[in-house]
Amino acid sequence: MSAALAFRPRTLAAWWPAGLLAALVACAILAPWLAPMDPDRQNLMARLKAPGFEARGALYLLGSDELGRDVLSRVIHGARVSIVVAVSSVLLSGVVGVAVGMLAAYLRGWVETVLMRLVDIFLSIPAILLAIITVAVLGPGFINVILVLALTRWPRYARVAYGQTLALADRPFVRLSRAMGASTPRVLALHILPNIIGPLLVVATLEFGLMVLFEAGLSFLGLGVQPPMASWGAMLSTGRNYIATAWWIATFPGLALFLLVLSANLIGDRLGDLIGKGR
Amino acid sequence: MSLLDLSDLAIQAGELSLVDGVTLDVHPGEIVALVGESGSGKSLTALSIVDLLGEGLRVTRGSRRFDGADLTPKRLRKLRGQDIAMIFQEPVSSLNPLMPVGAQVAESLIVHGTASESEAQSAAIDMLRRVGIPDPDRRATQLPAELSGGMCQRVMIAAALISRPRLLIADEPTTALDVTIQAQILSLIRDLTREQGTAVLLITHDMGVVAEMADRVCVMYGGRVVEQGAVHDLFAAPRHPYTDMLLRTMPRPDDPPKEPLFAIKGSVPGPRDWPSGCRFRSRCPRADAACTERPPLQGDGHRAACFHPMRPT
Ligand SMILES: Nc1ncnc2c1ncn2[C@@H]1O[C@H](COP(=O)(O)OP(=O)(O)O)[C@@H](O)[C@H]1O
Ligand code: SF4
Ligand SMILES: [Mg+2]
Repeated sequence: MSAALAFRPRTLAAWWPAGLLAALVACAILAPWLAPMDPDRQNLMARLKAPGFEARGALYLLGSDELGRDVLSRVIHGARVSIVVAVSSVLLSGVVGVAVGMLAAYLRGWVETVLMRLVDIFLSIPAILLAIITVAVLGPGFINVILVLALTRWPRYARVAYGQTLALADRPFVRLSRAMGASTPRVLALHILPNIIGPLLVVATLEFGLMVLFEAGLSFLGLGVQPPMASWGAMLSTGRNYIATAWWIATFPGLALFLLVLSANLIGDRLGDLIGKGR
Repeated sequence: MSLLDLSDLAIQAGELSLVDGVTLDVHPGEIVALVGESGSGKSLTALSIVDLLGEGLRVTRGSRRFDGADLTPKRLRKLRGQDIAMIFQEPVSSLNPLMPVGAQVAESLIVHGTASESEAQSAAIDMLRRVGIPDPDRRATQLPAELSGGMCQRVMIAAALISRPRLLIADEPTTALDVTIQAQILSLIRDLTREQGTAVLLITHDMGVVAEMADRVCVMYGGRVVEQGAVHDLFAAPRHPYTDMLLRTMPRPDDPPKEPLFAIKGSVPGPRDWPSGCRFRSRCPRADAACTERPPLQGDGHRAACFHPMRPT
């Protein structure tokens, strides 16, 4: 009993990345209330001001950018863009990939051949090339970034779901549920999916971090979210031009990016360890 | 009329013959044992009935009939879980580790839309009680890991019998269980199926189980039926040398304990090493030149496939 109590604070402490992620998500959700200013409001009288600058009662806690916008407000709103894009693309690619992988492994035969060949093809195209081509066709923009990311990442889930389903499909309980008359969708949704969701969650968590980086990268290259929408990648891109004179423009979005990706990766690793132990 | 009728069934993995000409029937309400050493093709025969042979395995010959009509995939979709139910050997891994056992017992009722969600749930609890699980209301909400192996096997029996199937296929239902629990599970299967008039195809490698449970028996060796007949006929007067050996491996209560158990000489050859003609030839003390041909199943009622049977047909 006392041992369990003694361990608790340590286990809780080990989950600090989850706390960090929760805080960042809260920032994203509460952005309009948390941000001290309108992230898009320009003030040409307050351009490139250093952190702590105050003008007519407005405090620029993290400084202002080249158009006089509040960096703090833009970083907070940028969390929205990052997280919404990452979550949407993870969901979209996850659903597609898992469905493809499970069907291929469960139905076998030509379905398996066709689907998994497609996975191999997609995996062999460099992601950035695929992204550039897709943006060239679809044009840049918020929704298109999500589509591009989903298009490049679904094979990863398909691979994992495929392997996991293959390992399960011959297990007696799956066979038995078929012998008891369960249909293919029922077997997949009720008997297989719950039993492979753990490894998939690990992948999704790690992918979330990757998607945040990917979105920032695309926006950095001008292929992603378009101005004036606040995106960390785009902020890094402009900030780069002023790095010698106004370091804060690039530094703070960079730091936010780092914390978000770090928390996702640490959580993913931890989940992976937990599942590894459970097996 | 027979309920299940397999005729000249053959199963192959690619070119490799695994089951070759199995003929077998099960009448309504009776218990037929399918017996043979491991690797003789019993499980494949059973899985082919419900069309659940794994990847790479095909039925290449013969017919499978249920209730007088061919078992087509379309018909099987309705029959599986409703008229034909199955129990596997591994009780724990045969249950979904993440689903409460009550829901798993109710599964076939829900799948076939026989009962509403809540009716199925209370039917499942009833069924759990019938298979002798104490405190079924509480047990129904538990996961398989919270139950013992014997309990899990009871859960599987409950799941199989809840829809009152006409045929139960039980593939070595007690092999993975403790000896003390084996007898309980077997009598449970016998009593419940008798009660609801369910026929049983009981797969086992244990002649003791056959003697205790079955009305008729079908002995397999090397993917073929070597002898079949009523249990008392076959036990009293086995004709095939393999059956004779199997019966002599049975421990008898009156055996002097110092006498070592008779064991069949040599090991079962794998499907790649089966000899031509009679597949038992490589281990048979009576084998001679005639046995290089395939012996036909001969006899009326009690039948054996041997050129030099232990007793005349
Ligand atoms: N998918 C498969 N591919 C090749 N051989 C198989 C396959 N499945 C089973 N076998 C072989 O078929 C033979 C019969 O198997 P099985 O029906 O499981 O025997 P039993 O249930 O009587 O022990 C065994 O020798 C086994 O190795
Ligand atoms: S046919 Fe020949 S080899 Fe086969 S069981 Fe009979 S005697 Fe033995
Ligand atoms: Mg078997």
